[in-house]
Amino acid sequence: MKKLLLALLGVGAALTVALPGAFARTEATQAPDAVPGITKNSIVIGGTFPLSGIASLYAPIPRGMEAYFNYINARRDKKTGQRGIYGRKIVWKYYDDGYNPGQTVQLTNKLILEDKVFATVGALGTEPVLAVRPLHKQRKVPQVLVSTGASYWGLQYKQYPWTSGWQTDYIAEGRVYARWILQNAPTSKIGVFFQNDDYGKDYLRGLEQGLGSKRSLIVSKLSYELSDSSYASQLSRLRQSGADTLVLFTTPTPTARAIGTAKAVGWNPKQIVINSVSATDQVMAGAARAAGQAYVNGAVSTGYLKNNTNPKYRTDGAVKAYRRIMANYGPDGININNTFYYYGVAKAYDFVKLMYVAGRNPTRAKLMAATAKMNWVNPYALKGVRIKTSQTDRFPIDQGKVVRYNNGSWNEISALYKGR
Amino acid sequence: MNVVDRNLGRAIGPALFLAAAVLVILLPRFMGEFRLLQFTLVAIYVIALLGLNILTGYSGQISLGHGAFVGVGAYTAALLSLGRPGLEAFQLDPPSWIPLGDGMRPIFTIPIAALVTGLFGLLIGVPALRLGGISLALATLAIAVSFPIVMKRFAEVTGGGGGINLNLPETPFGWDISTRHWLFYEAWVTAGIVFLAAWLLTRGRIGRAWRAIRDGEVAAVSSGVNPALYKTFAFGVSAAFAGAAGALLAIETAYVNPDTFPVGISILLLASAVIGGLGSLAGAVFGALLYVFLPIYAQKPPIFSFEFADQAPGVVFGVFLIVIMLLLPGGVAHFFRALVVAARTGRFRRRSRTSELA
Amino acid sequence: MAIPARPALPALDVSPAVRTLILGLGGFLGSIAALVLIGLVLTQTEEAFTWSGYWQQVVSGLAQGAIFASLALALVLIYRATDILNFAQGEMATFTTYIAWSLMNHMSYWPAFALTLVLAFIGGAAIERTIIRPVEHRPEIVVVIVTIGLLIALNGLVAWIWNPEVKAFDSPFPNRTTEIGGVVVAIQDLGVLGVTLVTVILLWAFFRFTALGLVMRAVANSQDASRLLGVRVGWMLALGWGLAAVLGAIAGMMAAPSVFLDPNMMLIILIYSFAAAVLGGIDSPVGAIVGGLVLGVLINLLGTYVDFIGGDLRLPAALVVLLIVLLIRPQGLFGHKVVRRV
Repeated sequence: MKKLLLALLGVGAALTVALPGAFARTEATQAPDAVPGITKNSIVIGGTFPLSGIASLYAPIPRGMEAYFNYINARRDKKTGQRGIYGRKIVWKYYDDGYNPGQTVQLTNKLILEDKVFATVGALGTEPVLAVRPLHKQRKVPQVLVSTGASYWGLQYKQYPWTSGWQTDYIAEGRVYARWILQNAPTSKIGVFFQNDDYGKDYLRGLEQGLGSKRSLIVSKLSYELSDSSYASQLSRLRQSGADTLVLFTTPTPTARAIGTAKAVGWNPKQIVINSVSATDQVMAGAARAAGQAYVNGAVSTGYLKNNTNPKYRTDGAVKAYRRIMANYGPDGININNTFYYYGVAKAYDFVKLMYVAGRNPTRAKLMAATAKMNWVNPYALKGVRIKTSQTDRFPIDQGKVVRYNNGSWNEISALYKGR
Repeated sequence: MNVVDRNLGRAIGPALFLAAAVLVILLPRFMGEFRLLQFTLVAIYVIALLGLNILTGYSGQISLGHGAFVGVGAYTAALLSLGRPGLEAFQLDPPSWIPLGDGMRPIFTIPIAALVTGLFGLLIGVPALRLGGISLALATLAIAVSFPIVMKRFAEVTGGGGGINLNLPETPFGWDISTRHWLFYEAWVTAGIVFLAAWLLTRGRIGRAWRAIRDGEVAAVSSGVNPALYKTFAFGVSAAFAGAAGALLAIETAYVNPDTFPVGISILLLASAVIGGLGSLAGAVFGALLYVFLPIYAQKPPIFSFEFADQAPGVVFGVFLIVIMLLLPGGVAHFFRALVVAARTGRFRRRSRTSELA
Repeated sequence: MAIPARPALPALDVSPAVRTLILGLGGFLGSIAALVLIGLVLTQTEEAFTWSGYWQQVVSGLAQGAIFASLALALVLIYRATDILNFAQGEMATFTTYIAWSLMNHMSYWPAFALTLVLAFIGGAAIERTIIRPVEHRPEIVVVIVTIGLLIALNGLVAWIWNPEVKAFDSPFPNRTTEIGGVVVAIQDLGVLGVTLVTVILLWAFFRFTALGLVMRAVANSQDASRLLGVRVGWMLALGWGLAAVLGAIAGMMAAPSVFLDPNMMLIILIYSFAAAVLGGIDSPVGAIVGGLVLGVLINLLGTYVDFIGGDLRLPAALVVLLIVLLIRPQGLFGHKVVRRV
C-alpha cells in the first residue's frame, strides 16, 4: 500500500513538471512554401510593450494600433472592396515585457515560435529591441517600425537588415533644436538637463552637432539618473551657471519634476525646451499645476505628428478619423486625448501601407524590401512631413516642426526642419 | 517506523531524482520549440534558486541581492565568450589589465563565471559576518540596487545601457542536434551537476553545520562549529551557483544589459525560493517553475481568457504571494513532504515546523 | 531573550530629561560645526564653491532627508513593536497619497490631508490585523515575503485604479523661494522640514505623556510581559501599524509635490529610508530621524561636489558609506547592541 502511494507520488511529481508540456500545441503542419503568419485570410503580427512597471505610460501605443487594425479589418478597401489587407484580417498579439530586455527575449521567442507571427511591429524600448535584434536577424523575421528614437535602426541597416525604425530619431531632433535656437535666439545661454542614458545622450549629441561651431552656447550640461529622488542639486547648479534657456532631454515623469523643481529653486529661464517624447498634454498639465501656467507657457518642442488636442485640428480630417476609430474600435473608457493612442494609430497606418507595398502575396523578404521603398504622406503626420526611405536612407521620418505650448495646446511656430 | 519504512524513506529522494532525470531526457520529444526554451529557463533558475536556498534556507542568511550574483555571472560569461576582439567590434575598450582573452566557447565560460562569482560572493560573505539579519538584508539590497548602476557606469567594459549582444548560440563541435536541444541539455546537465553538488553539501557535515548555525548560532558555536567559516562558505557557494545560472542565461538569451538585472529580479528570486520551499532542494524546482511560468500565464491565462486589465497581473501576483505564505509558509516542497508523511503515518499530524523552515 | 545593553555613557549626575537636552543641543551644534568644516574643506578643493550654493544644497538635502526620516520613522515604529521590517511601507504611503489626490479634487488641502491621515491609520491597522497577524509568529523570511507581496499588490493596484500617467500634487506651501542670509531657500523645503518637526514632536509627546503611548512602549519592550499585565497586545500592534501608516502618508504627501505622483515614486525613497533607519539603528526613533537627515545631506553633497561620483554613482556611494558605518558599528548610530544571554 505504502509502496503504491510512494510510486504514485513519484509519478505525480513527474506529471507536475510535464503537465504544462501537455498543453503545448503540436506543430501545425503547413505547406512547405507557406509564409509563417500569412494565411488566405489572416496576417498574424506581434509586439512587446511595457504594459506594466516603470514605462507603463506607453501602454496606450499598442492599443491605438489595435484600434486601427480593428478598423482596417472592418472597413472595405476602396479599390479592392475587400476587408483587411487584400482580404486578410490582421491578428495583433502583444505582450507585456515590463521594459525588461530579458523578458522581451522570452516573449519575442514566444511570438516567433509559438504564435508564429509574420513580423513584429512597433516593439517599444531601445534596449528591448536591441536584445532581440540578432534573433530577428537569425530567424529572418521582420522587426519593423520599432517605437524608439535610437538611431541604430536607421544607421545599422546593413548589419541588421531585418530591423527598421520609424520616428524621428533623437539625434535628428536634437539638431532641429540647435537650428531653431541659432535662427531665433542665437545669443542664448543654454543649460541642458538630460537623462544619463542613450536617450538623453543622443539628444545632447544631436544638439551639439547641430550647434556646430556655436557649441559654446551650452554653458552647462548636467545629467540625472532615474534613481534620483530629487533634481534640486542639478537644477540649482544650472541656475547658477547663468543659463537662460533650459533644455530638457528627459522622459515624461522627470520632465514634470524638473520643471517643478526649476521653479522651486528660484529659476525663471527665458525659454524652456522639452523633447518631443515628453511634450505630452499630461506632462504639461502636471508641470503647469506645480509651477504655474505662466511658467510653462512658451515652452517649445518639436513634433512630426498633428497635435490631436489642438483646437486648430478639430475639423481636420485625420484627427476626426482618429476620434472615430478610437470611439468605434478602441477600448472603452479611455482618454483619447492621450497622445500615445494617436501615435499608435499613426504607426499602424504606416504598417498597413507597408503591407500593401509588399503586395498580394507578401513574404517576409518583401516586407523588409518595402521598408526601403517608403514614399507617401501619412495623414496623421504634420503637413509637409513625408514618410520616405530609400536604399541608403532608412529613416522613414526625419523631419519636425517646432511647436510652442500655450494654455493646453501646442502650436506650430516654424517651418519644417529636416533633421537628417 | 520499521526498517523497511526507513529504507523506503531514504529511497524517495533518489527515486524522484531519477524520475525527473528520465523526464528531462524525454521531454524534448514531446515539446515544441518555445516550450523547450521555457524549460531551459527553468533549469537555469533551478541552479540560481539552489544557490539562494543554500544561503537563505540552509545557512539562514537572508539575501536580497541574488540577482546581482546572477548578473555578475552573466556579464562574466558575456565578456569571456566575446573576448577582447569581440568587444572591440562593439567599440568597447576595456582596460588592458582585465584578463579577457580572445573569446572562448560559451560552454567553458560557465565554470569560470561560477568561479568568479563565487569569489565575489566570498568577498561579500566576509563583511556580511558583522551584519545581522536586518543589516544584511539592507546590504544585499544595496548590492542589488547598485549593480545595474555600476554596470552602466563602466560602459567601456560592459557596453553600458545598450548592453552586449553575444553571438547567437550554436551547437558546438558540429554535433548533429538542434541548437535548441543543445541548450536544453546543456542547462539541465548543469542543473543536475549543481543539484548533486548541493545535495552532497547539504547532507554532509557542512549542511549540518549550516542548519545548526541557522537554528541557533550560539548553540552551534558551543558545539564546536565555526560560524564565520561556514557562513562565508555559504555565500561563496550560493554566489557560484548563481554565477553558473547567469552564464547559462547569457548564453541562452545572447544579450546582457544592466536592465535585465534590476532589483526586482532579486526580490522575485527570493519570493520564488520561499514559495518553492526553503530548506529543501526540491523547493528550487518548484520555485523555478513558478518564476518562469507565472509571469507569462498571468498575462494570458491558458485556460480562461478574459480581458485582464494591464495592471492586474501585478496585483494578482502580490496577492498570490500573501495567500501562499498564509497557507503554506513552508513552501510547496514542504507541503508535498507533509503529504508524504501523512500518507506514511496515516494521519495528518501537526508537527513542530520550526526546524524545517528557514 | 535579547536584552538591550545600556548605551555606554559617562554617568552624569543630572536627570534624564536634562541629559537628553544637553545631548540634543550638543548634537545639533556638532552637526552645524561638521557642516561648516566640510564647507571649509570644499573651499580648498572646489573651484566654483560658493557658501550660498553650499548652504542651499544643505537645506535641500535636509528637506529630502526629512522625507526619508518620516518613512524611516514608520519603519522603526513597526520594527520596534513587531520585529518586522515592512517592505510595503513605501507603497502604503503611495497608496494613501493617491487617495489624498483624489480627495483634493473635491475638497481643499488641509481637510483632505487630515482625512487621508485618518484613512491611512485605519488602513494600516486593518492590514496588521488581517494580513500580518496570521504570520506574526512565523519565521522572519515568511513575513518578509508577505510584506513584499503587499508591496507588489499595492503597486499594481495604484496603477490600476489611478492610471500610471504622471500627475501633479498640490502643496500647501507656495512654490517660491526666499532668501535667508544670502541663501536662496525654497519655501517648499522649509515647509517640509516644519511639518516633519511638528510630526516628530507630536509623536514624541504621544509616547512620552499619554497612557496609550506608555502601553505601546511596554508592548514594544516585551509582548509577553505586557500580556501578563492585561494589555490587549493585538490592538496595540494594530495601533502601531496605523501610526506607521500615518507617518508614511505624511512622507508621501510631503514628497509628492516635488516628485509628482507616479506609482513608483516611493520605491527609491523606501530604499533610502531603509538605509536611514538601519544607519540610525533599526530600533531607535531618534536614529531614524538623524539617519534620514544625514543621508539626505550626504547624497546631495556627494553628488554635487565629488566629481568621480557624479550623478550616476550617487546612490551606490551613499550605500557604501552606510555599509562602512555599519561595519564599524553594526547596531547603527543610535541602536542598542543586542546582547544575547544563553
